Amino acid sequence: MTAVELDAPRAAPREAWRLTLGRFLSDRAAVASLVAFALVLFASFAGGPIVSAIVGHNGFDQFPYATDANLDPAGVWSHVPTTTQVRLDEYSNVLPPPKGSPTTLMVLGADGPLGRDEFIRVLDGGKASVEVGVFAVLISALIAVPLGCLAGFYGGKVDAVVSRLTEWVMAFPLIFFLVYATVHLTPTLRPIGWGHDIPAGVPMVALLIGAFTSFYPLRLVRAQLLTLRNAEFVDSSRMVGASGLRIIRKDLLPHLVPTLLVWGAVAVATDMLLEVGLSVIGVGVQSSTATWGTLLAQTTGTIYNAGPGGGAHHTTWHTVWPTIAILISVVSLNQLSESFRRAIEPWRR
Amino acid sequence: MRRIGLFMARRIAGGVLTLWAIVTLTWLMYWSLSPQPGRFVYPLGIKVTPYQLQDGARRLGAARPKLTQYGDWWWHLLHGNFGHQWSFASLNDNVLTTVPIAPTLYPALRATLCILIGGAILAVVISLPLGAISGRRVGSLADKVISFVALIGVCTHPIVTGKLLTQWFGIDLKWLPAGGYCTFVKHPTPAGYPPGYESCGGPVAWTTHLIMPWFTFAFLFLALYTRMIRASVAESIHEDYVRTARAKGARERRVMALHVLPNASLRVLTMVGMDIGTALGVAVFVEFAYGISGLARLSVNAMAGDPSAEATDLPMLLAVVTVIALIVVIGNLVVDTLYAVVDPRTGAADRPGRTKEIAAGVM
Repeated sequence: MTAVELDAPRAAPREAWRLTLGRFLSDRAAVASLVAFALVLFASFAGGPIVSAIVGHNGFDQFPYATDANLDPAGVWSHVPTTTQVRLDEYSNVLPPPKGSPTTLMVLGADGPLGRDEFIRVLDGGKASVEVGVFAVLISALIAVPLGCLAGFYGGKVDAVVSRLTEWVMAFPLIFFLVYATVHLTPTLRPIGWGHDIPAGVPMVALLIGAFTSFYPLRLVRAQLLTLRNAEFVDSSRMVGASGLRIIRKDLLPHLVPTLLVWGAVAVATDMLLEVGLSVIGVGVQSSTATWGTLLAQTTGTIYNAGPGGGAHHTTWHTVWPTIAILISVVSLNQLSESFRRAIEPWRR
Repeated sequence: MRRIGLFMARRIAGGVLTLWAIVTLTWLMYWSLSPQPGRFVYPLGIKVTPYQLQDGARRLGAARPKLTQYGDWWWHLLHGNFGHQWSFASLNDNVLTTVPIAPTLYPALRATLCILIGGAILAVVISLPLGAISGRRVGSLADKVISFVALIGVCTHPIVTGKLLTQWFGIDLKWLPAGGYCTFVKHPTPAGYPPGYESCGGPVAWTTHLIMPWFTFAFLFLALYTRMIRASVAESIHEDYVRTARAKGARERRVMALHVLPNASLRVLTMVGMDIGTALGVAVFVEFAYGISGLARLSVNAMAGDPSAEATDLPMLLAVVTVIALIVVIGNLVVDTLYAVVDPRTGAADRPGRTKEIAAGVM
């Protein structure tokens, strides 16, 4: 009965949406950042398996001959003997591998004293890092959107409590909350994972980061609804007798999508950097799992394994590779968010 | 003037309330996690009997009624005293020796404040000309280069900046000390040290040790400030009063310094106030990269607790939480007051909000 009446006004937003898409696609920086982030996604999810298939080993294999006698790792583009047994002479000195033993290629060399492939670990680390970023954003959106809608739409006491809580939490440096929560929840939450697809520890880090960063989208949603709740289209819905929940669902949620999109792209990058921070402090994903954070942490040391001394047997390159990976993804996500904003609100440069 | 007084009184009341809330929440959270303070008294790693746990708690004063402890804590705080920490407690001849918190806390606080304030000044000093250059001609080559460098700055984790700077300027080129901290005032060498030893200190050593931390800190915030100043300059460069200033023959530099940039100062002030919390989070990584034992590192250690004891040092935790909350509250108070003084129109109550961007990621 109402189908026809509701369909008619719906044609207009779709047209606006198409205009936005057009603006987005005609922006060179937007397309470039989209392509860059797509490449990051491809490299982190498919790159590891593909490279493993080509060179014949994976990121967990340890090659004792990928390090020299001082345990310093092999350099960029080196062929490493695949022998897993180290030959020792009678004084326990390491002997060179037998002549003609098969070798395997390490594109970026070995990752440290353990002799794993740095290139595959950087690629695999991307998987965990991107997963942390994306899951954390989903979790914080799940927390923020309902709470923000309640606070912004109904106002009053709910709003007062939510706003006060937000203010208190945001006044305090986020990293301290994260460290405190992570340390106390590690025994219960860290083992959760799903094989190599979602490494153990990723859900915990994503959950905590998502929960503690949800205050920012909460404020965004609340602010947006505060301005929208007295709009004429909301009044008209109210006049025909729509309930508050229905107004939020049907009239107001679509208006939140652009805001959330702009926020989400930056937030994925932010959360990836937070993961790096947690790993460097030593409370994030366990250090044997490759993420960009743990790869950096093994060169910087953590609070439990402190100081520059923790970086023994690592060269500057071991800092540089994960950094490049982080830079590409964070810069592209940042630019992506900026381009979303420009496409959605072209009048605000 | 009366308005500012009233406003400050309200803000101070709000700050005290925030402090109370944070301390009380920490307190409640600690006691709700079934803690075992007794573990700090008896040697770790040895199987501790329930009796020993009770005895340890009693000796630390953690077995008294909770409300008494809570009241005592505030009483101590009013005297500027944070009591004794539980870590490093040692039981000899039935006498418990504990380490006071203040001698650790105050030097750490001084080191962190030096990093924070110096870094903030550096960030503002560098971003003012950069923002002015790129805001004057939006879209020019200089604008693009500056924006790109700023973007890289905000996307690089401070631990990476720190690590690379240490490696290049500290270890490879040996231009600057690779890490550590020296006090501004040179203290006499403590008794009992071997003859060749000299305590590090003095203005020169202080500066050389802090240059890289300051840059690391500023590199991150540079982007946010440059972008904001750029927007402000680009907005006001076409205003009538700027044209008037030019028409009366003022030189370009004078126009920028006296007519265009003061507009941005209000926003810079607002941002500095809102970034204090973030900055403390960033300080963790700056201190970590340069091996400085400052407040932020002390806090992370206190939050993370002692992994071998699986226990949290409550007095230390409360001390760092209080100091951090105080820094944030006092910093905001100072900024708000300055704001009210600089721009009496707005009365500071309704300062403009700002979108908090990627720097939130590392805090």
